[in-house]
Amino acid sequence: MKIDPVTLEVFRNRLDAIAQEMQNTLLKSAYSIMLKEGGDCSCALFSAAGETIAQAVSNPIHLAAFLPAAQHVLARFPAATMREGDVFVLNDPYNGGTHVPDVIVMVPVFAEGVLIAIGCSLGHHQDMGGMAPGSMPANATELLQEGFVIPPTRLYAQGVLNETLVEILRRNVRVPDMVYGDLMAQVAAGKTAALRLGHLIDRHGLELFAAVVPALLDHAERLTRAELARIPPGTYTFEDIIDSDGIDLDRQLRIAVTVTVSAAGMHVDFAGTSPQAKGPANCPPGAVLAPVYYAVHALLGAAIPGNSGAFRPITVSVPERSILSPVAPAPVGIRYHTLKRVVDALMGALSPVLPRRVPAAPHGSDLCMSWGGLDADTGRAFVYMECTTGGTGATWHSDGVDHMACDIGNSRNIPAEAAEIDFPVRIWANRLRIDSGGAGEFRGGLGVERVVELRRGEVTVSHRSDRHFTPPWGLGGGWPGARWTTLVERADGSRDTVPGRLIFRLSAGERVVGLTGGGGGHGDPLDRPPSAVFDDVSDGKVSVQAARKLYGVVIGADARLDAAATASLRATMARRGPAIDRGMRGWALEITNGESDDRGAIASGVTLSAPTSSRKAAP
Amino acid sequence: MTIIAVDIGGTFTDICAIFEQAGARRLSWTKEPSTRTDPVLGVVRGVTRILEEIGQPPSSVTRLLHGTTVGTNAVLERRGARIGLLMTDGFEDTLELGRGFRSNMYRLDPEPETPGFLAPGRRRRAVPERLDADGEVLIPLDEDALRRAVTELVVQEGVEAIGVCYLFSYVNSAHERRTREIIHALYPGLPVSLSHEVDPVFREYERTCMTALDAYLRPVMTGYLERLSGALRTAGIACDVLTMQSRGSLASTRAAGARPFTTLLSGPAAGVVGAQRLATEAGFPDCITLDMGGTSADIALITEGKPITTANGSIEHYPLRTLMVDVNTIGAGGGSVAWLDEAGGLRVGPRSAGAEPGPACYGRGGSEPTVTDASLVLGYLSPEQFAGSIDVDPDAAHRAIERLAQRLGLPLLETAEGIHRIVNARMADEIRLVSLRRGFDPREFALVLFGGGGPVCGWAVARELEIATALVPFAPGALCAYGLSTAALEYDEAVTVKSRADTVDPAALEAAFARLDVAGARRMAEDGVAAADVTAARSADMRHIGQSWELKVPVAAPVTAAAVAATVASFNQLHERIYGHVSDHGAAEFVNLRMTHTHAIDRDLRRSVPAAPHMTAPAPMRRCYFRDLGGMVDTAILTRAAIAPGTTVRGPAVIHQFDTTTVVGPGWSCQADAHGNLVLKAD
Repeated sequence: MKIDPVTLEVFRNRLDAIAQEMQNTLLKSAYSIMLKEGGDCSCALFSAAGETIAQAVSNPIHLAAFLPAAQHVLARFPAATMREGDVFVLNDPYNGGTHVPDVIVMVPVFAEGVLIAIGCSLGHHQDMGGMAPGSMPANATELLQEGFVIPPTRLYAQGVLNETLVEILRRNVRVPDMVYGDLMAQVAAGKTAALRLGHLIDRHGLELFAAVVPALLDHAERLTRAELARIPPGTYTFEDIIDSDGIDLDRQLRIAVTVTVSAAGMHVDFAGTSPQAKGPANCPPGAVLAPVYYAVHALLGAAIPGNSGAFRPITVSVPERSILSPVAPAPVGIRYHTLKRVVDALMGALSPVLPRRVPAAPHGSDLCMSWGGLDADTGRAFVYMECTTGGTGATWHSDGVDHMACDIGNSRNIPAEAAEIDFPVRIWANRLRIDSGGAGEFRGGLGVERVVELRRGEVTVSHRSDRHFTPPWGLGGGWPGARWTTLVERADGSRDTVPGRLIFRLSAGERVVGLTGGGGGHGDPLDRPPSAVFDDVSDGKVSVQAARKLYGVVIGADARLDAAATASLRATMARRGPAIDRGMRGWALEITNGESDDRGAIASGVTLSAPTSSRKAAP
Repeated sequence: MTIIAVDIGGTFTDICAIFEQAGARRLSWTKEPSTRTDPVLGVVRGVTRILEEIGQPPSSVTRLLHGTTVGTNAVLERRGARIGLLMTDGFEDTLELGRGFRSNMYRLDPEPETPGFLAPGRRRRAVPERLDADGEVLIPLDEDALRRAVTELVVQEGVEAIGVCYLFSYVNSAHERRTREIIHALYPGLPVSLSHEVDPVFREYERTCMTALDAYLRPVMTGYLERLSGALRTAGIACDVLTMQSRGSLASTRAAGARPFTTLLSGPAAGVVGAQRLATEAGFPDCITLDMGGTSADIALITEGKPITTANGSIEHYPLRTLMVDVNTIGAGGGSVAWLDEAGGLRVGPRSAGAEPGPACYGRGGSEPTVTDASLVLGYLSPEQFAGSIDVDPDAAHRAIERLAQRLGLPLLETAEGIHRIVNARMADEIRLVSLRRGFDPREFALVLFGGGGPVCGWAVARELEIATALVPFAPGALCAYGLSTAALEYDEAVTVKSRADTVDPAALEAAFARLDVAGARRMAEDGVAAADVTAARSADMRHIGQSWELKVPVAAPVTAAAVAATVASFNQLHERIYGHVSDHGAAEFVNLRMTHTHAIDRDLRRSVPAAPHMTAPAPMRRCYFRDLGGMVDTAILTRAAIAPGTTVRGPAVIHQFDTTTVVGPGWSCQADAHGNLVLKAD
């Protein structure tokens, strides 16, 4: 059956709306703070053949994540064996899952007794058991330490709940009611797909639906190929760095990428990437697709439908037994930062040929913490989870945005008032981190300073973040953004530095101080108008010292812009070349070599002594 | 007595008058170009003109109602007051940080999605003070630091108003109240917005946005309302001016000036209220409104004669936590551009040619094909339809669609029809999402069509949704003004309580409601409304413990143990309707209590059928395209005035009137009802 362009477009919108409705159902009926406030969940519609047909707007990291899941479910439970009322569940990273806390629920959809689609949802659960609250132990060395593993399994068989599975699951997680509530919200999302697709097929007929799906995929493929043709053919390479695997804290890991653009499409080869790690920086098989598809989609334009057809012109190869293709039972819990670095590497590789599309590197991490323990007042187990983001990279025409999620992540922060109502924590600060945005003609977005205290009892903190040692790179003469830093303020007044991935204990009254990273700058800071730098100083985004050192802008003792001094200072300053500034041995050292400078000190994670801003009322 | 309703839009100001003549009530309406630099001028001009037209003296005006975009424009054009913001130390950047989420996942050059412009860093100050979640003081308010901060903001930054948002102030407002005392001791009369008064509900970013908006808009809105009242008094109209709030009810000048953000969606709300009144009178208390304009389509849901409201709306990307008619906008309008993607796929919108350059047929330099161009090609619109306002060039529309058709490889008419089918399907998708999200099946609703394009596309959208009835109001162009003239005066009070339903003390809830009742009753009394004319309704935002999305359910008075149980039961029912399941784990909890005081100003307002403004009679037949009939067919062209109540017009037919065109598709018929509305029905 030939599908005309009008019918195609009508169906594309309809299927997107169904995916969005699934997402609405999931968000609204979820229980946990990560889903309800953080929005760490996604929904998609799959074809009976396991291809993405439509996706709901949410976290890009989840979207391609459904591909391996659908394939594994279909391999274990062939379409012919599926029945109406069945619901499948899995979280096994080596059988289609991502990492243990991400539970994927799939609801097969039937028409006239034939499997026609699968309604998929993924929710990041508050806890799935294992050695650390939140089920992402930074120091795991094998999968089973990370949590309770569910291979592709029937959660419902023809409408009957698998009580045995649920009982065993509840006994293996720290917050059983919450896990069960979120799981049922996912089931509701999948059932939404079945209901709406049923209406669609009643209306338009199975034959038309069956013909539309491949036509939609073909259309997306043609669109992707047309956009790919805008990238000059050639081979482009880049490398970026991950702090460590959480076990060998002093050993950095490498993402190496070679991108080949040709008439055949785009081939992405990760040869040269670090071998499989002991700790959980590994990514489960297939996980690398998410950042690759994200990067290509963002670079080529959002008008491309997010279905499997769009992915056909893109091939990916990963070296075996590498951090991108580990062998079971290697731990994979903290694959998130590794996948973010995959995006950075791809963007870096294509930056020379797409100067008007690739921004400087964004913050490159998230401050993810899970605090787990018994509430001393109520005696109940709890897991408090939060993710705090940093600044985005400056672009070829604009400053980066402060505190905004980027690339494959897109979670919301947790309001202090929401956290303190529900958990024994106190948020003492959540404010802009001065000087954290990479200097440039266009400045990188700023990270934040977040201070969280435990109010009572004792908890185990699972702390996960990255770019504590290699800052987000600057582009076209821009400086790198500030690195991430986390300190623990102990009851006795001492301070510990957290090297990114760490499990530690925290007692009542102790605080975690997180300084999140800034985005890289774009262009030579000497090209930034002095008035823009002055505004940044007035608004507490750039310190007086940094304005002088990095931008050559002089602010007088009267807090006014000194235009004459600025002009003469700028005349003496060397212009920066266009090369990518990776800051490996860069500005932090350079700056701290002179007089003492807070910016350098913070960035190198040595001490915490933020420059005071004029706008803060002194106590 | 004369009632005047004025709806100030971006281009035109609509004026509607309800007056008595020969013992009968009459309704008349007109349009006046809006005066963007000072909207007051256009209002006074229009009001003076309509009074002359209907032959009534200014002194006869007993009520003047208006919908305004002054607040909206101040936000969109960044023209509010210069404000300072005082925040709990550690949270001074909350306004700019937001929640860290982005709405466009794939954009590599994103823009900020938080309203930092309301108070950039230099105009924000951290104040040492801190409460805990129970309202206990952890750090006392540092009054010396506060005085220094306020002085700096006023002296160095020249702020004209100050917003104050401290953590947990909605539990214990002492620090915020003391802050206002200190500010006023230093600078008497400086406007101060306190977060616990503006929006006493948890989540600090959202509350900060509301507080900053309040401070930012208050001087603008108060000044505007004072000028308007003054100018009207000069013109001989002495009555109070009532302003439409986003929630679909009116507020006095004093109340609107005091809470300016409540009027941010004044215009769309007036249209929905007008549609609600008309549809309810016409016998359709459950309906969905489709207002299709030049750049976008607005969709709202009305159930049991009441518009659905939300307390979690937004303006641009900024959270707007005030009750508002839940108007959902999608980029689908008459000016939406049809385009081909790189793979030859046909897309319509969201980009719009707007009014300038406008559709190709406007001849203002636009050459891209739009939905309106397609309407011309299909024969639904005719050049005389635009008479007076725009010289329409149908050939330009043909040329634009033809170019697209050639690239698409489809015949001209099929291309034009395809554009309509896609845009109609997108509107239908959005209507489905909007209604299903609320747990309603759109098939059980009537569709109310207005805006320039609503009645053109409406029958096809209804058909797509399997909706059997569509209503075209008697005067779609005057719908907002009509909504204004029939809306109620209404105020809402809320407080966060956060109590488990199974352990809550009903007496404590009763006491909280009693406090809200006193506050709301006071506001009504300040507006001079007698207590006997006020009805009060109680409701609660509830959720299961652990969830963060609340549902609003009515609460019976007085609150007893039985009333609590009944409230929980209706919450569970609503939860199941919307989400398809009732929690068997988390117990229910009360999050916020709300009380709404309503004064239905004119319950008995009856209007007589207005005479339709004169227009040239169109040709009796025209060729129009209907896919179901296989192509271009002879179609009856009627004027609205020619359709007497009770007569039935069978589709296909096109009905022209002064302010819109209604298409009746094949398989549909159309009747004029006793109120002057057109009722479209599927056979």
